Amino acid sequence: MFDFIQAVLDGILFGTIYSLIGIGFTLVFGVMHKINMAYAAASIGAAYIGLVSASAMKAASAWVVFGCSLVAGGVLGFLVYLICFHLIPLRNENATLMSTVGMLLLADELISHATTGAPQNYPATLEDVMFRFGEMSMRGDLVVVFGVSVVCTAALLLLLYRTRLGLATRAVAQQPIAAQLCGMRVAQVNTLTFVITGVLGGIAGALICSAVGSLSILLTGPLTVKGLIVTVIGGLGSVPGAIVAGLLVGGLENVFQHFRGVTERDMYVMLLLFAFLIFRPGGIFAKGQGRD
Amino acid sequence: MSALLEVKDVVTAYGKIEALKGVSLEVQQGSITCLLGPNGAGKTTLMMSTAGILRPRSGSIQFAGAEIAGAAPHAIVARGIALVPENRLVFPGMTVTENLRAGAYQRADKAEIEAHIERMFARFAPLKARATQLGGTLSGGEQQMLSVARALMSRPRLLLMDEPSLGLAPLIVDEIFRIIAELNKDGTTIFLVEQNAHMALKVANHFYLIEQGKVTFSGDPGSLAEDEVIRRAYLGSARA
Repeated sequence: MFDFIQAVLDGILFGTIYSLIGIGFTLVFGVMHKINMAYAAASIGAAYIGLVSASAMKAASAWVVFGCSLVAGGVLGFLVYLICFHLIPLRNENATLMSTVGMLLLADELISHATTGAPQNYPATLEDVMFRFGEMSMRGDLVVVFGVSVVCTAALLLLLYRTRLGLATRAVAQQPIAAQLCGMRVAQVNTLTFVITGVLGGIAGALICSAVGSLSILLTGPLTVKGLIVTVIGGLGSVPGAIVAGLLVGGLENVFQHFRGVTERDMYVMLLLFAFLIFRPGGIFAKGQGRD
Repeated sequence: MSALLEVKDVVTAYGKIEALKGVSLEVQQGSITCLLGPNGAGKTTLMMSTAGILRPRSGSIQFAGAEIAGAAPHAIVARGIALVPENRLVFPGMTVTENLRAGAYQRADKAEIEAHIERMFARFAPLKARATQLGGTLSGGEQQMLSVARALMSRPRLLLMDEPSLGLAPLIVDEIFRIIAELNKDGTTIFLVEQNAHMALKVANHFYLIEQGKVTFSGDPGSLAEDEVIRRAYLGSARA
Protein backbone atom coordinates (compact mmCIF):
# COMPACT_ATOMS: atom_id res chain seq x y z
CA MET A 1 0.00 0.00 0.00
CA PHE A 2 2.76 2.41 0.93
CA ASP A 3 4.53 1.50 -2.30
CA PHE A 4 1.42 2.48 -4.17
CA ILE A 5 1.03 5.85 -2.44
CA GLN A 6 4.74 6.42 -2.90
CA ALA A 7 4.39 5.75 -6.64
CA VAL A 8 1.49 8.19 -6.95
CA LEU A 9 3.36 10.83 -4.97
CA ASP A 10 6.51 10.54 -7.08
CA GLY A 11 4.38 10.62 -10.20
CA ILE A 12 2.60 13.78 -9.19
CA LEU A 13 5.88 15.49 -8.29
CA PHE A 14 7.30 14.62 -11.71
CA GLY A 15 3.94 15.40 -13.34
CA THR A 16 4.50 19.11 -12.69
CA ILE A 17 7.04 18.98 -15.53
CA TYR A 18 4.38 17.54 -17.80
CA SER A 19 2.16 20.40 -16.69
CA LEU A 20 4.84 22.91 -17.70
CA ILE A 21 5.31 21.31 -21.13
CA GLY A 22 1.53 21.03 -21.54
CA ILE A 23 1.14 24.74 -20.71
CA GLY A 24 3.64 25.53 -23.46
CA PHE A 25 1.70 23.57 -26.05
CA THR A 26 -1.68 24.80 -24.90
CA LEU A 27 -0.79 28.50 -24.64
CA VAL A 28 0.46 28.63 -28.21
CA PHE A 29 -2.62 26.76 -29.34
CA GLY A 30 -4.88 29.10 -27.38
CA VAL A 31 -3.35 32.23 -28.89
CA MET A 32 -2.66 31.10 -32.47
CA HIS A 33 -4.80 27.98 -32.88
CA LYS A 34 -1.71 26.21 -34.11
CA ILE A 35 0.22 23.26 -32.68
CA ASN A 36 3.92 23.87 -32.17
CA MET A 37 5.27 20.35 -32.59
CA ALA A 38 8.84 21.53 -32.06
CA TYR A 39 8.15 22.69 -28.51
CA ALA A 40 9.49 19.74 -26.50
CA ALA A 41 12.52 19.31 -28.78
CA ALA A 42 13.32 23.03 -28.48
CA SER A 43 13.02 22.66 -24.69
CA ILE A 44 15.59 19.87 -24.62
CA GLY A 45 17.69 21.93 -27.03
CA ALA A 46 17.52 24.85 -24.60
CA ALA A 47 18.54 22.54 -21.75
CA TYR A 48 21.54 21.47 -23.84
CA ILE A 49 22.55 25.04 -24.68
CA GLY A 50 22.15 25.83 -20.98
CA LEU A 51 24.49 22.96 -20.07
CA VAL A 52 27.10 23.94 -22.64
CA SER A 53 27.08 27.64 -21.84
CA ALA A 54 27.25 27.00 -18.10
CA SER A 55 30.29 24.77 -18.53
CA ALA A 56 31.83 27.37 -20.83
CA MET A 57 31.48 29.79 -17.93
CA LYS A 58 33.11 27.19 -15.68
CA ALA A 59 30.01 27.17 -13.52
CA ALA A 60 28.68 23.65 -13.26
CA SER A 61 26.08 24.32 -10.57
CA ALA A 62 22.62 23.11 -11.49
CA TRP A 63 21.16 26.55 -10.82
CA VAL A 64 23.47 28.28 -13.30
CA VAL A 65 22.56 25.63 -15.86
CA PHE A 66 18.90 26.31 -15.17
CA GLY A 67 19.36 30.03 -15.63
CA CYS A 68 21.18 29.56 -18.94
CA SER A 69 18.53 27.08 -20.14
CA LEU A 70 15.82 29.59 -19.32
CA VAL A 71 17.45 32.27 -21.46
CA ALA A 72 18.21 29.81 -24.25
CA GLY A 73 14.59 28.65 -24.15
CA GLY A 74 13.34 32.19 -24.72
CA VAL A 75 15.70 32.71 -27.64
CA LEU A 76 14.78 29.35 -29.21
CA GLY A 77 11.09 30.15 -28.73
CA PHE A 78 11.58 33.35 -30.69
CA LEU A 79 13.51 31.54 -33.44
CA VAL A 80 10.83 28.84 -33.75
CA TYR A 81 8.18 31.56 -34.08
CA LEU A 82 10.20 33.43 -36.66
CA ILE A 83 11.07 30.43 -38.81
CA CYS A 84 8.02 28.21 -38.44
CA PHE A 85 5.23 30.80 -38.15
CA HIS A 86 6.24 34.31 -39.09
CA LEU A 87 7.98 33.44 -42.36
CA ILE A 88 5.38 30.86 -43.36
CA PRO A 89 1.94 31.83 -44.64
CA LEU A 90 -0.38 31.20 -41.70
CA ARG A 91 -3.43 30.76 -43.86
CA ASN A 92 -2.28 27.29 -44.79
CA GLU A 93 -3.18 25.14 -41.80
CA ASN A 94 -0.77 22.34 -42.75
CA ALA A 95 2.20 24.56 -43.57
CA THR A 96 2.91 25.53 -39.97
CA LEU A 97 2.23 22.00 -38.75
CA MET A 98 4.81 20.66 -41.19
CA SER A 99 7.26 23.46 -40.43
CA THR A 100 7.16 22.69 -36.71
CA VAL A 101 7.48 18.93 -37.32
CA GLY A 102 10.47 19.79 -39.51
CA MET A 103 11.86 21.93 -36.70
CA LEU A 104 11.35 19.04 -34.25
CA LEU A 105 13.42 16.74 -36.48
CA LEU A 106 16.02 19.45 -37.11
CA ALA A 107 16.39 20.12 -33.38
CA ASP A 108 16.81 16.38 -32.83
CA GLU A 109 19.50 16.22 -35.49
CA LEU A 110 21.31 19.25 -34.11
CA ILE A 111 21.37 17.88 -30.56
CA SER A 112 22.38 14.47 -31.85
CA HIS A 113 25.20 16.01 -33.89
CA ALA A 114 26.42 18.26 -31.07
CA THR A 115 26.46 15.45 -28.53
CA THR A 116 27.66 12.83 -31.06
CA GLY A 117 24.59 10.92 -29.94
CA ALA A 118 25.97 10.26 -26.47
CA PRO A 119 23.97 11.06 -23.32
CA GLN A 120 25.39 14.09 -21.51
CA ASN A 121 25.72 14.13 -17.75
CA TYR A 122 23.35 16.70 -16.30
CA PRO A 123 23.88 18.22 -12.84
CA ALA A 124 21.36 17.31 -10.17
CA THR A 125 19.90 19.92 -7.85
CA LEU A 126 19.70 18.07 -4.55
CA GLU A 127 21.75 14.96 -5.04
CA ASP A 128 21.14 12.06 -2.69
CA VAL A 129 18.85 14.05 -0.46
CA MET A 130 15.81 12.19 0.82
CA PHE A 131 12.97 13.62 2.82
CA ARG A 132 11.41 10.93 5.03
CA PHE A 133 7.98 10.83 6.60
CA GLY A 134 7.61 7.50 8.40
CA GLU A 135 7.34 4.86 5.69
CA MET A 136 7.26 7.45 2.92
CA SER A 137 10.14 9.30 1.36
CA MET A 138 10.57 11.96 -1.26
CA ARG A 139 13.57 12.34 -3.54
CA GLY A 140 15.06 15.76 -2.89
CA ASP A 141 15.49 16.57 -6.57
CA LEU A 142 11.88 15.69 -7.30
CA VAL A 143 10.84 18.12 -4.59
CA VAL A 144 12.93 20.76 -6.35
CA VAL A 145 11.26 19.84 -9.66
CA PHE A 146 7.91 20.27 -7.99
CA GLY A 147 8.84 23.56 -6.34
CA VAL A 148 10.33 25.14 -9.46
CA SER A 149 7.40 24.03 -11.61
CA VAL A 150 4.87 25.43 -9.16
CA VAL A 151 6.71 28.76 -9.00
CA CYS A 152 6.87 28.94 -12.82
CA THR A 153 3.21 28.09 -13.19
CA ALA A 154 2.23 30.66 -10.57
CA ALA A 155 4.36 33.29 -12.31
CA LEU A 156 2.69 32.48 -15.62
CA LEU A 157 -0.80 32.69 -14.12
CA LEU A 158 0.08 36.06 -12.56
CA LEU A 159 1.34 37.25 -15.92
CA LEU A 160 -1.81 36.08 -17.69
CA TYR A 161 -4.36 37.36 -15.19
CA ARG A 162 -2.71 40.35 -13.55
CA THR A 163 -0.80 42.19 -16.27
CA ARG A 164 -1.57 44.22 -19.37
CA LEU A 165 0.35 41.75 -21.53
CA GLY A 166 -1.67 38.90 -20.06
CA LEU A 167 -4.88 40.74 -20.83
CA ALA A 168 -3.78 41.15 -24.45
CA THR A 169 -2.76 37.48 -24.64
CA ARG A 170 -6.16 36.31 -23.44
CA ALA A 171 -7.91 38.83 -25.69
CA VAL A 172 -6.08 37.64 -28.80
CA ALA A 173 -6.80 34.02 -27.86
CA GLN A 174 -10.52 34.63 -27.35
CA GLN A 175 -11.38 37.08 -30.08
CA PRO A 176 -8.49 38.22 -32.30
CA ILE A 177 -10.51 40.73 -34.34
CA ALA A 178 -11.86 42.45 -31.24
CA ALA A 179 -8.36 42.42 -29.74
CA GLN A 180 -7.10 44.37 -32.74
CA LEU A 181 -10.03 46.76 -32.48
CA CYS A 182 -8.92 47.42 -28.89
CA GLY A 183 -5.53 48.46 -30.26
CA MET A 184 -3.63 45.27 -29.48
CA ARG A 185 -0.99 43.97 -31.89
CA VAL A 186 -1.53 40.33 -32.70
CA ALA A 187 1.98 39.73 -34.09
CA GLN A 188 3.52 41.20 -30.93
CA VAL A 189 1.35 39.01 -28.67
CA ASN A 190 2.20 35.93 -30.76
CA THR A 191 5.93 36.64 -30.54
CA LEU A 192 5.84 37.20 -26.79
CA THR A 193 3.78 34.03 -26.33
CA PHE A 194 6.53 32.05 -28.04
CA VAL A 195 9.26 33.70 -25.99
CA ILE A 196 7.39 33.10 -22.73
CA THR A 197 6.49 29.48 -23.51
CA GLY A 198 10.09 29.05 -24.68
CA VAL A 199 11.35 30.22 -21.27
CA LEU A 200 9.01 27.76 -19.56
CA GLY A 201 10.24 25.04 -21.93
CA GLY A 202 13.87 25.80 -21.18
CA ILE A 203 13.19 25.45 -17.47
CA ALA A 204 11.15 22.27 -17.98
CA GLY A 205 13.86 20.77 -20.21
CA ALA A 206 16.55 21.48 -17.63
CA LEU A 207 14.37 20.07 -14.83
CA ILE A 208 13.79 16.84 -16.72
CA CYS A 209 17.43 16.34 -17.66
CA SER A 210 18.40 17.11 -14.09
CA ALA A 211 15.87 14.63 -12.66
CA VAL A 212 16.91 11.94 -15.15
CA GLY A 213 20.60 12.75 -14.60
CA SER A 214 21.48 13.01 -18.27
CA LEU A 215 20.50 14.75 -21.49
CA SER A 216 19.96 12.81 -24.68
CA ILE A 217 17.80 13.03 -27.78
CA LEU A 218 15.94 9.97 -26.49
CA LEU A 219 14.07 12.45 -24.29
CA THR A 220 12.54 14.56 -27.07
CA GLY A 221 10.19 11.94 -28.54
CA PRO A 222 8.52 10.81 -25.30
CA LEU A 223 8.38 14.40 -24.02
CA THR A 224 6.64 15.58 -27.20
CA VAL A 225 4.13 12.74 -26.90
CA LYS A 226 3.48 13.35 -23.20
CA GLY A 227 3.16 17.07 -23.79
CA LEU A 228 0.56 16.54 -26.52
CA ILE A 229 -1.36 14.03 -24.40
CA VAL A 230 -1.44 16.46 -21.49
CA THR A 231 -2.61 19.22 -23.84
CA VAL A 232 -5.46 17.10 -25.22
CA ILE A 233 -6.53 15.78 -21.82
CA GLY A 234 -6.43 19.28 -20.36
CA GLY A 235 -8.40 20.66 -23.27
CA LEU A 236 -6.67 22.49 -26.13
CA GLY A 237 -6.02 26.06 -25.06
CA SER A 238 -6.82 25.59 -21.36
CA VAL A 239 -3.97 26.50 -19.01
CA PRO A 240 -5.72 25.21 -15.84
CA GLY A 241 -6.55 22.05 -17.79
CA ALA A 242 -2.89 21.53 -18.72
CA ILE A 243 -1.83 21.93 -15.08
CA VAL A 244 -4.29 19.32 -13.81
CA ALA A 245 -3.73 16.99 -16.78
CA GLY A 246 0.04 17.07 -16.20
CA LEU A 247 -0.40 15.95 -12.59
CA LEU A 248 -2.95 13.34 -13.68
CA VAL A 249 -0.72 11.86 -16.37
CA GLY A 250 2.32 11.95 -14.07
CA GLY A 251 0.43 10.22 -11.26
CA LEU A 252 -1.32 7.61 -13.40
CA GLU A 253 1.88 6.85 -15.28
CA ASN A 254 3.46 5.70 -12.05
CA VAL A 255 0.34 3.78 -11.07
CA PHE A 256 0.47 1.90 -14.38
CA GLN A 257 4.14 1.26 -13.83
CA HIS A 258 3.48 0.08 -10.29
CA PHE A 259 0.92 -2.50 -11.39
CA ARG A 260 2.03 -3.44 -14.90
CA GLY A 261 5.74 -2.65 -15.06
CA VAL A 262 7.74 -0.08 -16.99
CA THR A 263 7.39 -1.80 -20.36
CA GLU A 264 3.61 -1.59 -20.38
CA ARG A 265 3.33 1.84 -18.76
CA ASP A 266 3.10 4.01 -21.86
CA MET A 267 0.57 1.72 -23.52
CA TYR A 268 -1.88 2.57 -20.77
CA VAL A 269 -1.05 6.26 -21.04
CA MET A 270 -1.99 6.03 -24.73
CA LEU A 271 -5.23 4.24 -23.88
CA LEU A 272 -5.96 7.06 -21.43
CA LEU A 273 -5.54 9.51 -24.30
CA PHE A 274 -8.05 7.61 -26.43
CA ALA A 275 -10.47 7.37 -23.54
CA PHE A 276 -10.39 11.15 -23.37
CA LEU A 277 -10.61 11.65 -27.12
CA ILE A 278 -13.71 9.48 -27.27
CA PHE A 279 -15.54 10.43 -24.08
CA ARG A 280 -14.27 13.92 -23.28
CA PRO A 281 -12.76 15.36 -26.46
CA GLY A 282 -12.93 18.87 -25.02
CA GLY A 283 -10.67 17.91 -22.12
CA ILE A 284 -11.10 17.72 -18.36
CA PHE A 285 -12.80 21.08 -17.89
CA ALA A 286 -15.01 21.05 -20.97
CA LYS A 287 -18.70 20.71 -20.36
CA GLY A 288 -20.11 17.28 -21.17
CA GLN A 289 -20.06 17.05 -24.94
CA GLY A 290 -18.67 14.83 -27.62
CA ARG A 291 -20.78 11.76 -28.12
CA ASP A 292 -24.10 12.79 -29.52
CA MET B 1 -19.20 71.56 -39.90
CA SER B 2 -16.17 69.94 -41.48
CA ALA B 3 -15.54 66.36 -42.51
CA LEU B 4 -13.92 64.25 -39.80
CA LEU B 5 -13.79 61.17 -42.02
CA GLU B 6 -13.39 61.35 -45.78
CA VAL B 7 -13.58 58.15 -47.80
CA LYS B 8 -12.60 58.46 -51.46
CA ASP B 9 -12.85 55.82 -54.19
CA VAL B 10 -12.12 52.98 -51.79
CA VAL B 11 -11.88 49.54 -53.36
CA THR B 12 -11.63 46.54 -51.02
CA ALA B 13 -11.57 43.01 -52.38
CA TYR B 14 -11.68 39.47 -51.04
CA GLY B 15 -9.42 37.73 -53.52
CA LYS B 16 -10.81 38.62 -56.91
CA ILE B 17 -14.22 39.68 -55.67
CA GLU B 18 -14.52 43.42 -55.08
CA ALA B 19 -16.82 44.06 -52.14
CA LEU B 20 -16.29 47.83 -52.36
CA LYS B 21 -16.10 49.14 -55.93
CA GLY B 22 -14.99 52.70 -55.34
CA VAL B 23 -16.90 54.03 -52.34
CA SER B 24 -16.79 57.73 -51.50
CA LEU B 25 -18.52 59.38 -48.56
CA GLU B 26 -17.98 61.85 -45.73
CA VAL B 27 -18.76 61.89 -42.04
CA GLN B 28 -19.13 65.42 -40.68
CA GLN B 29 -17.62 66.34 -37.32
CA GLY B 30 -20.24 66.01 -34.59
CA SER B 31 -22.80 64.23 -36.76
CA ILE B 32 -24.55 60.90 -36.73
CA THR B 33 -24.04 59.61 -40.24
CA CYS B 34 -25.74 56.45 -41.29
CA LEU B 35 -24.96 53.91 -43.98
CA LEU B 36 -27.91 51.82 -45.10
CA GLY B 37 -28.02 48.96 -47.56
CA PRO B 38 -28.95 45.35 -48.08
CA ASN B 39 -26.95 42.32 -46.98
CA GLY B 40 -23.76 41.89 -48.95
CA ALA B 41 -23.71 45.52 -50.16
CA GLY B 42 -20.33 46.11 -48.52
CA LYS B 43 -21.31 47.90 -45.30
CA THR B 44 -19.25 45.73 -42.96
CA THR B 45 -16.38 45.71 -45.46
CA LEU B 46 -16.28 49.52 -45.33
CA MET B 47 -16.28 49.47 -41.52
CA MET B 48 -13.48 46.87 -41.44
CA SER B 49 -11.49 48.84 -44.03
CA THR B 50 -11.81 52.04 -42.00
CA ALA B 51 -10.74 50.28 -38.79
CA GLY B 52 -7.72 48.73 -40.52
CA ILE B 53 -8.79 45.10 -40.19
CA LEU B 54 -9.10 44.94 -43.98
CA ARG B 55 -6.69 46.69 -46.31
CA PRO B 56 -8.27 48.67 -49.14
CA ARG B 57 -6.83 47.79 -52.54
CA SER B 58 -6.97 51.43 -53.62
CA GLY B 59 -8.50 54.76 -52.68
CA SER B 60 -7.99 57.00 -49.69
CA ILE B 61 -9.45 57.23 -46.19
CA GLN B 62 -8.67 60.48 -44.40
CA PHE B 63 -9.32 60.94 -40.72
CA ALA B 64 -8.95 64.46 -39.31
CA GLY B 65 -6.80 65.29 -42.33
CA ALA B 66 -4.44 62.29 -42.03
CA GLU B 67 -4.36 59.34 -44.43
CA ILE B 68 -5.24 56.10 -42.64
CA ALA B 69 -6.05 53.75 -45.52
CA GLY B 70 -3.97 50.60 -45.05
CA ALA B 71 -2.71 51.60 -41.59
CA ALA B 72 -2.60 48.91 -38.88
CA PRO B 73 -5.61 48.68 -36.54
CA HIS B 74 -3.59 49.69 -33.46
CA ALA B 75 -2.41 52.85 -35.23
CA ILE B 76 -6.00 53.71 -36.19
CA VAL B 77 -7.22 53.19 -32.61
CA ALA B 78 -4.40 55.47 -31.47
CA ARG B 79 -5.67 58.20 -33.83
CA GLY B 80 -9.11 58.09 -32.22
CA ILE B 81 -11.34 55.71 -34.17
CA ALA B 82 -13.11 52.83 -32.43
CA LEU B 83 -15.33 50.21 -34.06
CA VAL B 84 -18.22 48.43 -32.38
CA PRO B 85 -18.10 45.35 -34.59
CA GLU B 86 -20.96 43.40 -36.07
CA ASN B 87 -22.05 40.63 -33.69
CA ARG B 88 -20.47 42.57 -30.81
CA LEU B 89 -17.41 40.27 -30.45
CA VAL B 90 -17.09 40.65 -26.68
CA PHE B 91 -14.32 38.59 -25.09
CA PRO B 92 -16.39 35.64 -23.88
CA GLY B 93 -13.97 34.37 -21.23
CA MET B 94 -13.24 37.73 -19.64
CA THR B 95 -15.30 39.50 -17.04
CA VAL B 96 -17.24 42.61 -17.97
CA THR B 97 -14.66 44.74 -16.17
CA GLU B 98 -11.79 43.04 -18.00
CA ASN B 99 -13.55 43.59 -21.32
CA LEU B 100 -13.67 47.31 -20.51
CA ARG B 101 -10.02 47.30 -19.47
CA ALA B 102 -9.15 45.68 -22.79
CA GLY B 103 -10.87 48.59 -24.52
CA ALA B 104 -8.50 50.96 -22.70
CA TYR B 105 -5.47 48.88 -23.73
CA GLN B 106 -3.56 51.78 -25.28
CA ARG B 107 -4.10 54.11 -22.35
CA ALA B 108 -1.55 54.39 -19.55
CA ASP B 109 -3.57 56.50 -17.07
CA LYS B 110 -4.47 53.71 -14.66
CA ALA B 111 -6.45 55.70 -12.12
CA GLU B 112 -8.42 57.50 -14.83
CA ILE B 113 -9.20 54.16 -16.53
CA GLU B 114 -10.79 52.83 -13.32
CA ALA B 115 -12.81 56.05 -12.97
CA HIS B 116 -13.84 55.75 -16.63
CA ILE B 117 -15.04 52.17 -16.01
CA GLU B 118 -17.19 53.50 -13.15
CA ARG B 119 -18.66 56.13 -15.48
CA MET B 120 -19.43 53.36 -18.00
CA PHE B 121 -21.26 51.47 -15.26
CA ALA B 122 -23.25 54.60 -14.48
CA ARG B 123 -24.21 55.03 -18.14
CA PHE B 124 -24.81 51.34 -18.88
CA ALA B 125 -26.53 50.33 -15.65
CA PRO B 126 -27.16 46.66 -16.58
CA LEU B 127 -23.41 46.15 -16.93
CA LYS B 128 -22.69 47.22 -13.36
CA ALA B 129 -24.70 44.32 -11.95
CA ARG B 130 -22.69 41.97 -14.16
CA ALA B 131 -19.24 43.48 -13.53
CA THR B 132 -17.62 40.21 -12.46
CA GLN B 133 -19.58 37.98 -14.83
CA LEU B 134 -17.94 36.57 -17.99
CA GLY B 135 -18.76 38.38 -21.23
CA GLY B 136 -20.02 35.19 -22.85
CA THR B 137 -22.77 34.79 -20.22
CA LEU B 138 -24.46 38.13 -20.98
CA SER B 139 -27.65 38.52 -22.99
CA GLY B 140 -27.48 39.91 -26.53
CA GLY B 141 -28.48 43.40 -25.44
CA GLU B 142 -26.00 43.41 -22.57
CA GLN B 143 -23.25 42.21 -24.91
CA GLN B 144 -24.08 45.05 -27.28
CA MET B 145 -23.84 47.57 -24.44
CA LEU B 146 -20.54 46.00 -23.38
CA SER B 147 -19.23 46.21 -26.93
CA VAL B 148 -20.17 49.91 -27.15
CA ALA B 149 -18.71 50.64 -23.71
CA ARG B 150 -15.51 48.78 -24.59
CA ALA B 151 -15.11 50.88 -27.74
CA LEU B 152 -15.70 54.08 -25.75
CA MET B 153 -12.93 53.12 -23.31
CA SER B 154 -10.36 54.15 -25.94
CA ARG B 155 -11.93 57.66 -25.88
CA PRO B 156 -12.56 57.78 -29.64
CA ARG B 157 -13.34 60.93 -31.59
CA LEU B 158 -15.16 58.81 -34.15
CA LEU B 159 -17.26 55.82 -33.15
CA LEU B 160 -18.00 53.32 -35.91
CA MET B 161 -20.97 51.06 -35.20
CA ASP B 162 -21.74 48.02 -37.32
CA GLU B 163 -25.38 46.94 -37.01
CA PRO B 164 -25.78 47.56 -33.28
CA SER B 165 -29.46 46.55 -33.37
CA LEU B 166 -28.84 43.17 -35.03
CA GLY B 167 -30.78 40.37 -33.37
CA LEU B 168 -32.02 42.47 -30.44
CA ALA B 169 -35.58 42.72 -29.09
CA PRO B 170 -37.41 45.96 -30.04
CA LEU B 171 -37.24 47.39 -26.51
CA ILE B 172 -33.48 46.84 -26.43
CA VAL B 173 -33.13 48.38 -29.88
CA ASP B 174 -34.86 51.54 -28.57
CA GLU B 175 -32.41 51.57 -25.67
CA ILE B 176 -29.39 51.20 -27.98
CA PHE B 177 -30.57 54.10 -30.19
CA ARG B 178 -31.23 56.24 -27.12
CA ILE B 179 -27.61 55.59 -26.12
CA ILE B 180 -26.39 56.48 -29.63
CA ALA B 181 -28.19 59.82 -29.51
CA GLU B 182 -26.83 60.48 -26.02
CA LEU B 183 -23.23 59.71 -26.98
CA ASN B 184 -23.54 62.03 -29.95
CA LYS B 185 -24.91 64.81 -27.75
CA ASP B 186 -21.81 64.38 -25.55
CA GLY B 187 -19.64 65.15 -28.55
CA THR B 188 -18.78 61.81 -30.16
CA THR B 189 -19.10 61.68 -33.94
CA ILE B 190 -20.90 58.51 -34.98
CA PHE B 191 -20.81 56.58 -38.23
CA LEU B 192 -23.49 53.93 -38.10
CA VAL B 193 -24.21 50.96 -40.34
CA GLU B 194 -27.76 49.71 -40.04
CA GLN B 195 -30.39 47.48 -41.52
CA ASN B 196 -33.02 49.00 -39.27
CA ALA B 197 -33.58 52.00 -41.56
CA HIS B 198 -36.58 53.26 -39.58
CA MET B 199 -34.64 53.67 -36.34
CA ALA B 200 -31.47 54.87 -38.06
CA LEU B 201 -33.27 57.66 -39.95
CA LYS B 202 -34.72 58.91 -36.67
CA VAL B 203 -31.27 59.66 -35.19
CA ALA B 204 -29.18 60.35 -38.30
CA ASN B 205 -28.20 63.82 -39.54
CA HIS B 206 -27.21 62.42 -42.89
CA PHE B 207 -27.41 59.06 -44.59
CA TYR B 208 -25.97 57.14 -47.51
CA LEU B 209 -27.35 54.15 -49.37
CA ILE B 210 -24.89 51.51 -50.47
CA GLU B 211 -25.79 48.84 -52.99
CA GLN B 212 -23.49 46.23 -54.51
CA GLY B 213 -20.32 47.98 -53.35
CA LYS B 214 -21.29 51.48 -54.50
CA VAL B 215 -22.90 54.48 -52.85
CA THR B 216 -26.16 55.04 -54.69
CA PHE B 217 -27.75 57.82 -52.66
CA SER B 218 -26.69 60.54 -50.27
CA GLY B 219 -29.02 62.87 -48.46
CA ASP B 220 -30.62 64.05 -45.23
CA PRO B 221 -33.43 62.07 -43.62
CA GLY B 222 -36.60 63.25 -45.35
CA SER B 223 -34.91 63.76 -48.70
CA LEU B 224 -36.13 60.36 -49.80
CA ALA B 225 -39.45 58.80 -48.79
CA GLU B 226 -38.87 56.41 -45.89
CA ASP B 227 -40.56 53.47 -47.59
CA GLU B 228 -38.27 53.97 -50.58
CA VAL B 229 -35.22 54.02 -48.29
CA ILE B 230 -36.42 50.89 -46.51
CA ARG B 231 -37.10 49.11 -49.78
CA ARG B 232 -33.64 49.89 -51.09
CA ALA B 233 -31.95 49.22 -47.74
CA TYR B 234 -33.40 45.74 -47.59
CA LEU B 235 -33.68 44.70 -51.20
CA GLY B 236 -31.47 47.01 -53.20
CA SER B 237 -32.87 48.99 -56.10
CA ALA B 238 -34.33 47.03 -58.98
CA ARG B 239 -31.86 48.46 -61.49
CA ALA B 240 -30.06 45.20 -62.05
